[in-house]
Amino acid sequence: MNLKRRIILFVLFWGWAAQSFAQSKPDTTRIIINAISGMQYDVVRFSVKPGTYVRLILFNKDDMEHNIVLGKQDSRHAIVDVAQALGKDGPAMGYIPKSDLILASIHLLHVGQSDSILFRAPRNTGVYPYVCTFPGHGSIMYGAMHVTNGVMPEITADMNIPPHRRKANGTLLPDQISGHPFKLIPPYLYRVLMPDAGPAAIAVCLPNKINYCWDAGICQLRYLWEGGFLDLTDYWTIKGELHAKILGKLFYQDSLKFNFRIGTASLAPKVHFKGYRLVRDYPEFHYYIDDIEVFELIHDLDHGLGIVREFRMNHINQPIQFIHQEGDGMIYKCEKGKIKGNRVELNQAEAASFSITMLKENQ
Amino acid sequence: MKATIYIALMAICWWTSCKQVNDITSPTAAYIVENIKLPEGLVGETGAIEFLPDGRLVACFLRGEVMIYNPLNKEWRLFASGLHEPLGLLIISDKEMLVMQRPELTRIKDSDGDGKADVFETVTDAFGMTGNYHEWNYGPVKDKDGNLYIGLNTASEYGKIQHEVRGKLDTTLLPGKPLQKFSAVPYRGWIMKITPDGKVLPFASGLRSPNGLLIDDQNRLLVNDNQGDWVGTSALYHVEQNHFYGHPASLLWKEGWNMGDPSKLPISSLDSMRTKATVLYPHGIMASSPSQPVLDRTNGKFGPFTSQLYVGEMNQERILRVMLEEVGGQLQGACIPFLDKHGLLKGNNRLAFAPDGSLWVGHTQHGFIGDLGIQRIVYTGKVPMDIAAMHLLNNGFELKFTQPIKSDVRIDSSFFHFRHYYYDYHLKYGSDQYDIRDIPITSVDLSDDRQRIILKMNEILPGYIYELTLGDIISSNGTMLENKLICYTVNKKNQ
Repeated sequence: MNLKRRIILFVLFWGWAAQSFAQSKPDTTRIIINAISGMQYDVVRFSVKPGTYVRLILFNKDDMEHNIVLGKQDSRHAIVDVAQALGKDGPAMGYIPKSDLILASIHLLHVGQSDSILFRAPRNTGVYPYVCTFPGHGSIMYGAMHVTNGVMPEITADMNIPPHRRKANGTLLPDQISGHPFKLIPPYLYRVLMPDAGPAAIAVCLPNKINYCWDAGICQLRYLWEGGFLDLTDYWTIKGELHAKILGKLFYQDSLKFNFRIGTASLAPKVHFKGYRLVRDYPEFHYYIDDIEVFELIHDLDHGLGIVREFRMNHINQPIQFIHQEGDGMIYKCEKGKIKGNRVELNQAEAASFSITMLKENQ
Repeated sequence: MKATIYIALMAICWWTSCKQVNDITSPTAAYIVENIKLPEGLVGETGAIEFLPDGRLVACFLRGEVMIYNPLNKEWRLFASGLHEPLGLLIISDKEMLVMQRPELTRIKDSDGDGKADVFETVTDAFGMTGNYHEWNYGPVKDKDGNLYIGLNTASEYGKIQHEVRGKLDTTLLPGKPLQKFSAVPYRGWIMKITPDGKVLPFASGLRSPNGLLIDDQNRLLVNDNQGDWVGTSALYHVEQNHFYGHPASLLWKEGWNMGDPSKLPISSLDSMRTKATVLYPHGIMASSPSQPVLDRTNGKFGPFTSQLYVGEMNQERILRVMLEEVGGQLQGACIPFLDKHGLLKGNNRLAFAPDGSLWVGHTQHGFIGDLGIQRIVYTGKVPMDIAAMHLLNNGFELKFTQPIKSDVRIDSSFFHFRHYYYDYHLKYGSDQYDIRDIPITSVDLSDDRQRIILKMNEILPGYIYELTLGDIISSNGTMLENKLICYTVNKKNQ
């Protein structure tokens, strides 16, 4: 029998067992707790009436091993210490020590496993902590069983649960501060995972409330938005996978994946990102399109009317075309070259230094 | 009668005073841990720390800062910002350094001398990325010939991949069943070598999460890997060119690979291909998530363990010590806790020796167990009573202590308890300990200087960890043995 089937049967069995038990004993409370990413239980507190039965079910949905140990009142730190002191005997015991402090426990669960336990809640009202005793986990992975005939305290004031979970509806507290030891004054940038871009993206906040996403993977301006810059709360909170959230309003999005054509070629050239230089804090991107060396610096116009893309190019031996998508919401201007429909044609001399202005159509 | 009482009282006083003389010195005395105050507003998730020759610290933080700290005036200043999860640093000067970011290895430079970096040159981005959270990069470290090495993490089956990825996408190992870390773009799970002329070469494969690289004084590349699927317990590897270290995902990117899903190969084939760990860290006993190794080049400024390694542990308030030796032409050795608690935090992610011989520790958590901030460990000059060396002999071990053992104590086998066990090599996350056995000690020989002990047993089996628990051994000056658990990984017998 494979593991998945075993788990399913196991869950079915316990689901049945718990249900039938609950039917025969109407005072059984069924609590399902998941161990989840970020070293935490999804349920950090629950309440039961004194002396009633509790069926506690633990699912391990995290990517490391966890157990759960329910202890006497005020015993969390002591239990963690006793478990830690098991040392080399810890693995064989699933890091659960023999201790009078422990009321109930579910053994160490591997990734994807689950188990349950039936126990009777203490007759004395009070707060009974539960904690994962795997070495190191106990300091942040814990919660509380409130044994009470009344209601639990306000979650924001419940000192028995981890600080970052003391929030109404139990979701994580957003971290609104930037976490930087300096004030963010535009222009500034983040290399960060961005939506609708390759993973090597660069987000830049400009002074006139225009922001852009430049993709270092394909050396291309991907999109522009106005208003707020980024909400990085989730990005910082979780392990760095969720995209930064764009605040404000998107007003331009590239669909060509590359603006330049060399000579008469109709295909996009090969590009190679070389880095950037800060010029008065504005990034000037450095890249190659085939053998042509390119520098690109983007600044925004007063009142957020649009942007100017300043280009410098070296080693040019053919004319260059700058192409944009028609109807992309922008008006294109170039002080050099010839504008023909959705393209700007630049000869070798012109391409050495030019700028493309992109104005919002609706302004 | 009075005389008898008087003599008895005198005896008690003498005994009590002897007790006081013998009073066990606090083990905290050899090392003290200090907290370094971070600048206001900074979330101190430390990605890297290294020192400038003048004693200033350079630190990277995961929200993108590179900062320089002057320990003399305790002032921080910003050198660079906006970087993408910087997890590695190699210093060239206070105006130029290499930083390992998520998308690339970058040379950052202060070209105009204003104290802030203004040039960010891509040294290499010649590796894939999918946006999966687990695709962290580590290093660079530099060998004697000027080659750089970086480590590329595998992706997590619990994470996602983006719609747009960088590099050729191979969907063979995309998350499915069974769950395991994967490598969907080149060269996740590899150690890469960057030659002085800029060539980027896949160097060695089979890594899962190589959070910590070191080039030692013999020009050997040593890399820590983290327990999980295919890694029964965390390990230190001696990484050599074209070797494979056991996690199959990376094999997809081996030149000429034509055997499909590498994780479906028979375990025996994979096992015969892999190079085994130099030192294993028993999971939940020594370390659950080892990080950066550093070499003690302080010549005694940091205490009696010159030329040994220190290794950070993420999950506990602990730093480990590793002692290596060559046996049968191959590197192997022992690990032992170095410092437990004493004010040390968790999340011991990065280590660096300051020019004054103090060991600095950068902490992080990043969605896992850990702490924030930077600490500094200072050797007080009081020699700890500890195991200075553990050598494998023919059917035995030699232990060398930092100090002689107290003269009136008869050392016998009751002070030593050996077990052996091994961890299995398989896809399933982690491994139980197998064939756990107590190993009887057949003889105990203490040297004349009372600083070396030879422990003999009937047989030593390669492929096992030999775990030794020591009793309360006290030094001649009354110091209690600091660390009483040491694990030796026997790959080769010493014949």
